[in-house]
Amino acid sequence: MAEVVKELTRKEKEIRELIRAEIPWEPVGPTPMPEIADLRSWDMRLLKTYKPWYAPFCDLCCLCTYGKCDLSQGRRGACGLDIATQQARIILLACLMGCSAHAAHGGHILEHLIEKYGADKKIDMGTYIELEAPNIRTVTGLKPETLGDLKTVIEYVYKEITHLLDSTHFGQEGSYLDYESKALHASMLDHVGMEVADIAQIVGFNFPTSVADTPLVDMGWASVDESKPVILLVGHNPATSTTIIDYLRENDLYDKVEVAGICCTALETTRYSDRAKIVGPLSRQLFYVRTGIADVIVTDEQCIRTDMPIEADNVDSRVIATLDKAMYGLEDATDWDTEEIVKQMVEDKKHFAILNTKKAAEVAAKVALKIAPQRKKRWITEEEAIELAKKCTNCGICERVCPNLINIGDGITELAKGSFDLIKEQFNQCIGCGKCEQECPNKVPIFKIMQVAASKETWKIRAGRGPVMDTEIRNVGAPITLGTIPGVLAFVGCSNYPDIDDVADMVYEFARRKYIVTLTGCAAMAAGMKKFENGKTVYELFPPEFDAGGVLNVGSCVSNAHISGAAIKIANIFAALPLRANYEVMADYVFNRVGACGVAWGAMSQKAASIGTGFNRLGIPVLLGPHSSKYRRLYLSRKEEDDWTVMDARKREIVDSGEPSPEHLAYVCETKEKAMVMIPKLCIRKNDTPQGRSIKLNHYISLYKKYMGGGLPEDVHLFIRRDADIPLVYKKEVRAYLKEIDWQPKEPVGLPTLIGTYPTKVPLDAVIH
Amino acid sequence: MAVVPFHRVNVLTGIKASRIIEDPVQCADLILKARRPLLVLGAKLIEWSVDGKLALEYALDIARAARIPACGTAHVKGKMVELGVSPDSVYDVVEIVNALKDPDWRGVKKEGNHDLVIFLGVRSDLEEQCLSVLKHFAYKHLRTMTLDKYYFPHANYSLPNFKKDEQWGGFLEELMANLRKER
Amino acid sequence: MEWHSDIGPQYEGEVVRKEDLWIEFGGPKVARKFELCRLKSPEQIEHEKVEIIGKDINEMEEGGSYPIAIIVDVAGEQLDEDALPVLERRIHMFASYIEDWYHMNQRADTWIRVNKTAAKKGWTTLKEFGEILNFLYTSEMDIIEKIQITLITDPDLIEKLYPEAKAAYAARDQRVLTLHDEDVDTFYGCVLCQSFAPTHVSIISPDRIGNCGAINWFDGRAAAKIDPEGPIFAIPRGDLIDPTKGEYAGANQVERERSLGTYDRVYLYSAFEHPHTSCGCFEAIVFYIPEVDAFGIVHRAFKGKTVIGETFSHMAGETSGGRQVEGRLGTGLEQIRSPKFIQADGGLHRMVWMPKEIKERYRETIEAKGLWDKIAIEEDVADVDQLLKWLDEHQHPWLMGQVELPT
Repeated sequence: MAEVVKELTRKEKEIRELIRAEIPWEPVGPTPMPEIADLRSWDMRLLKTYKPWYAPFCDLCCLCTYGKCDLSQGRRGACGLDIATQQARIILLACLMGCSAHAAHGGHILEHLIEKYGADKKIDMGTYIELEAPNIRTVTGLKPETLGDLKTVIEYVYKEITHLLDSTHFGQEGSYLDYESKALHASMLDHVGMEVADIAQIVGFNFPTSVADTPLVDMGWASVDESKPVILLVGHNPATSTTIIDYLRENDLYDKVEVAGICCTALETTRYSDRAKIVGPLSRQLFYVRTGIADVIVTDEQCIRTDMPIEADNVDSRVIATLDKAMYGLEDATDWDTEEIVKQMVEDKKHFAILNTKKAAEVAAKVALKIAPQRKKRWITEEEAIELAKKCTNCGICERVCPNLINIGDGITELAKGSFDLIKEQFNQCIGCGKCEQECPNKVPIFKIMQVAASKETWKIRAGRGPVMDTEIRNVGAPITLGTIPGVLAFVGCSNYPDIDDVADMVYEFARRKYIVTLTGCAAMAAGMKKFENGKTVYELFPPEFDAGGVLNVGSCVSNAHISGAAIKIANIFAALPLRANYEVMADYVFNRVGACGVAWGAMSQKAASIGTGFNRLGIPVLLGPHSSKYRRLYLSRKEEDDWTVMDARKREIVDSGEPSPEHLAYVCETKEKAMVMIPKLCIRKNDTPQGRSIKLNHYISLYKKYMGGGLPEDVHLFIRRDADIPLVYKKEVRAYLKEIDWQPKEPVGLPTLIGTYPTKVPLDAVIH
Repeated sequence: MAVVPFHRVNVLTGIKASRIIEDPVQCADLILKARRPLLVLGAKLIEWSVDGKLALEYALDIARAARIPACGTAHVKGKMVELGVSPDSVYDVVEIVNALKDPDWRGVKKEGNHDLVIFLGVRSDLEEQCLSVLKHFAYKHLRTMTLDKYYFPHANYSLPNFKKDEQWGGFLEELMANLRKER
Repeated sequence: MEWHSDIGPQYEGEVVRKEDLWIEFGGPKVARKFELCRLKSPEQIEHEKVEIIGKDINEMEEGGSYPIAIIVDVAGEQLDEDALPVLERRIHMFASYIEDWYHMNQRADTWIRVNKTAAKKGWTTLKEFGEILNFLYTSEMDIIEKIQITLITDPDLIEKLYPEAKAAYAARDQRVLTLHDEDVDTFYGCVLCQSFAPTHVSIISPDRIGNCGAINWFDGRAAAKIDPEGPIFAIPRGDLIDPTKGEYAGANQVERERSLGTYDRVYLYSAFEHPHTSCGCFEAIVFYIPEVDAFGIVHRAFKGKTVIGETFSHMAGETSGGRQVEGRLGTGLEQIRSPKFIQADGGLHRMVWMPKEIKERYRETIEAKGLWDKIAIEEDVADVDQLLKWLDEHQHPWLMGQVELPT
C-alpha cells in the first residue's frame, strides 16, 4: 500500500494529540474524529442503492414565519425547500434529538462519576473483554482508558451536534441526500455517545460485564410488593436510581422499601440490584401511574409523561424531578433543607425538582415511608370494573383517537356484560397514551377498568449484561462460516407496536431456529412478557450466551452500542481488520460480510430513529413495525432494478452480483407474520459460504411456506448462486423451479466490498489487509 | 368543508384533500376508465368480516369483477392460497408504493406502469402514509383510490367515513355489480 | 412432499423428555441396536424402497423402548468404501431434522426418541421415517444413484446381522489408523474461512485434520465429490519434496494459487519456517515456549492464562488472519493423535504443557508414548519458571536431550 505523505493541518495535529496517535496499538486510519463531509462518499454510495423513500407526515412546513408553506405537488417553500428535503431535514432533527439524548445522558453520568471517582478512574470491562470500546475506537481513533478519555470523546460528539444542528436552520442544506448523509453522521455519533454512557455506567456503577449468566429478575406490576412503600423510577438515567438503592442499603431500609422502575431506568436499576422490580416498558407507564400504587415517583429524563405531576395529583402520589431536562415548572428545592422538603411533600402534597441525587434519594425514601401507610393502594375488582364499564355507550370516539386504532368501546361494552376476553386482547395492544380516556364524552375511566384486563402474572427477564465478550465473538466465527448460525438479530426499540406479544413471538421463533438474538430497551422487556412452554419466558428457555439460539438482554437503550460494537468486533477480532479511525472499512465489512439484522418493531421515539439510522450507516438493515412509516423515511431498494455490483477484492474486478443482499436498509412490515418471513432474507450476505447460504435460505423458505401458503418465495432465485446454496430439505423443489425459469449459476463473490465502486480515499487493500 | 378522517391520526395537514366518492356507479366508472389499474390488498382483509363474509372475499370479488391484477401485501397470500387463488404479485405495501412512484416501472404485468392504484385493507395509518408517498411523488402519472371504510385525505378518490359496516359492505356489493354490468 | 412432521435443520437437538416420550428405539435400555451404511451394486438395490422387518409403530406401546437396526444400502459409480462413514453419519443429521424425532450417537449406540406430538400429527409407520431418509439422501447427493433402506425391529434378526456391522466398523477404524498421507495421491483444500482470512487455505490430509476440527480427509473427499466447484476441493498431492517436514508440490501449488500470492510453500508437519496458516476458527493453538525450547497447546474453551501468561483469546489474536506464524499453529485437536503432528519438530515428545481437560481427553495417546507424567497441566505450574523446574523434576525427554529429530 503506497504511503501518502502529506502535510498535516493544525486541526489534524490537534486531533492526533487528542487520540494519542503516537501510541501504536493500531495504525491511525483515514478518518479520526470525522466531521460532516468526511464519510459523505460512503453515505452517498449507500443511498444510491437504498434510496430514501419519503412518506410526508405533513404537506406543509411550519418552521419559520414565512410559513405555513404548502410543499405538495412539487411546490417549493419560501426558502426554496421541496417536500423531500423538508422530510430529510426533520429526520436529521430527529436523529439529532436522539444523539443528544444519549450524549447528554452519557455526559451527565460522566460528570457524576468523575465527581465521585476522578477522571483517572480506569476502564476495565472484565477479563473477557479487551476490545472495550469498538464504536469509540473506530469512529474517533482513541482507545479510552479512563473516564477522562470518555469525556474527550463526548465533547467531540457535542461539537458535531452543534454543526449538524446548524444545517437545519432556515436556508441551509438544499439536497435531501445531503440531509440524509448528515442524519447518518449524527446517528453514527449516537452510537458513540451510547457507548460512552454505557461504559461509564458499567465502570462507575459496577454493572455486570464479561458475564453472560446475569441474574433472572422479576418483571410485571404484580411483582411489586404493595405492602411496602413503593418508589417508582421512570426514565433512563441511573444516577439517581443507584443512589436511592445505596441510601436504602446504608440505612438498612432495603428490605422495607420497594424500588420499581419503568422503561430503561428499570433495566439499569436491575443491573445494579437484582431485587429491583421492572414494571414494564413505556407502554405501561400511564397505566401504572394511574393505579396509584407508587407512593413516590422519581423522574429523570426521556420518555416520561410530561404531565407527571398532574397525573400524580390525581392519585395522590408525589413526584420528584431529578434532572434539569424535565422540571415541569416545579419549585427547585435542590438547595433546601431536606426535612423541609419532606414535610411539604408529605403534608402539602407538593412535588419538587431536586437536582442533587443524594438529596433526591433521601427525600424519596423518607417521603415514601411516611405516606405509604396513609395511602390506599388497591386494584379494582371485576365487579367494580363492570359497573364502571356500564357508562360506555360505544360512541366510537376512543377508536378515532387511538394511535393503535383499537376500538376500546367494544372491549369496554363486552366487559360490561361480564366478558373479559376482548379487553384483555386490547390491553396487549394498548400503547399507553391516554387519548381514549381524554376524549370519552361519558368520562369512562378506561385505564382504571384496564386494571382487570392486565395480567397478574410476573415474568422473568435477565439483567442487562453489557457488551458481547471478545471470547464469544471468537467462538461464533466457525459456526457462522460453517452455517450453523444463520444470523445475528437485534430486537430493539420502543413499545409502539401492533401487539406486545409480537416481540416475544419473533424472539422465540428465531431463538429456536438458532439465530443469536440480542435485545435492548423496551423491546427486551416486551419480549419477556409472554410465557411459553412450562410457563417460561424466552430468557428462561434459551441460554444467555452470544451463541446459536442464545437470547441476550444486552441492557438499556444506551446498550445498543454494544450491538453495533459486536458487529465491529467481528470485523476486527475475527477478520483481523484494523478499526482505528477506520469507520468506512468497518462499515463496508459489516455491510458486505456480517449477516445481522435489527428489528425495531415498536420504534416510536427520536432516539429509536438515530439508533436505527446509526445501524444503517454501519451497514446493518433494520426492519420496523407499521407505525414507523410515520418516521417519514425509509431506505429501500428495488431488487430487480438496482445496482448490485460489488468489487471482488480477491480478483480485483467489478462483478454484477445481481443479489439484493441485504434487500433494504430501513424497511416497514405491516404484520408480524410477514416480518418473520423477511428477517431471514435480510441476514443474507454476498460472502455466505454454501453452508451458510443454505441455512439462511432454509429459514426463509420454511417461514415463507408457513405464512404465505406454501410454495417458494418469488425472489428465491436471486439468492441462489450455485446448486450448493439450495437448502437440503427443499433441494428437489427448488431445482425444479430453477429449471422452469431457466436459472443460470453464477460464481460467488469471495471478498465482496463496495470499495472501488465509488469515489473514496480508501484503497482496496484496506479491506483485505 | 373538510372531512376529518375516522382515525384522527390521519387528519390532513395540508391543502389538497381527496375527493369523496359516495356513488358506487361513479366509483365503478373511475375504475373502468383506468387503462392499467392495480388493486393492493392489505393484511386487515384477513381480519375483518362484513356481514359474515371475509373482507378478503369482497376484495377478490372486486378484482374479478373488474379484471384487475392484485398485489398481495404482508401475508395476505397465505389466506389467498387457502381460498384457491394467487396474487399477481407479492410486495409489501411500502415496496409496491416504491415501485409505483417510478414512472418508468413496467408494472405488475410488465405492460407499463399503472395509472390507478386502489388500496383495500391496509391498516389505516400505514395506508395514509403510503398514499402520501404517491400524492407527493407520483402525482404526475398515477391516481390513487381507496375502497376502505374510512376517509383518506391523501388519496385522489376516497370513500366517506361509513358509520356502519353494513353500509360499507353494501357500497362494495353495489360497486361489484356495477363493475360487472358495465364490462 | 407432504410428511406428517416438518423437516429442517431448525429441529436438530430437540430433546424429548420423559413425559413427552411416545416411542424409543435403541438407547441404553435396549441391548442390541445399530445403524449401518453398506455399499452395493446397482442390481442389488430397488431404488427408494423402504422395507420394515418386524413390528411397526402401530404395534408398539407408548413409552416403550424397542431394538432397531437402520440399514442404508447405496450404489453409485462415484461411491466407494471410504465414503460409507460419511454417509452413515448422515443418519444422525437427517433423523434430527425431523420435527418430533430426536437422534443421538451412531453405530451400535444409536438412540432415537419420538415425541408424542408425532402421534398426534398422525405418524403410524416407520416407513415414513425411511422415506424421509431416502428423500434427504437423494436430495443432497447426486453421487448416490440408488438407495434402499431397511428398518429392522425384529430382535433376532438384528442380533443375527450385528456381526456384519461390527466387522464393518472395525474395518473402517483400521483404515483410519493405517491410512496415511503417503498412501493417497489426493489431499483436500478448504477455503470456507476465506471471508475472514483471505489468505488462508486449509490442507487436509489423512494425517492432518482441518484446523476447525470439523473436516477430516474422508469428509473432504465426500464434500469435493458432492460439490466439486465448491469451497472444498481436491488437491493432487504431487511430488513429496520433504517427507520429514511434510512439503508436497501439490500443496505448495495450491498455496500459490489461493493465498492471494502471499505464500507458496507450506510444511504440513512443522511449526517452523513454513507453518500451516491459521484462520480464526481453529480448535486449539500450538505455541512455542522459548524458555524451554518446546511446545504447549491450549484449546478454545480454556478460560484462564496459559503457562506463558497469555489467554487463548489473546494468542488467537496474534495467530489468526490467515498468516503463517512461526511457532504458532492454529490446529484441530485431533492432530494430537496424528503420527505426523509436528513430527519435524519432535512431535508430542516436544510437548510440555497442556490444559488438564485436553490431557485427559487424549490420555491413551499420551500414555502410549510414555509421556503421561512428563507433561505439565495448569494445576501443576503457573508460569514458565515453575514449568522449567517441574520439567526438570519429571525428567521430560526433550529437556533431557533424549529426543532425536527425524531427518
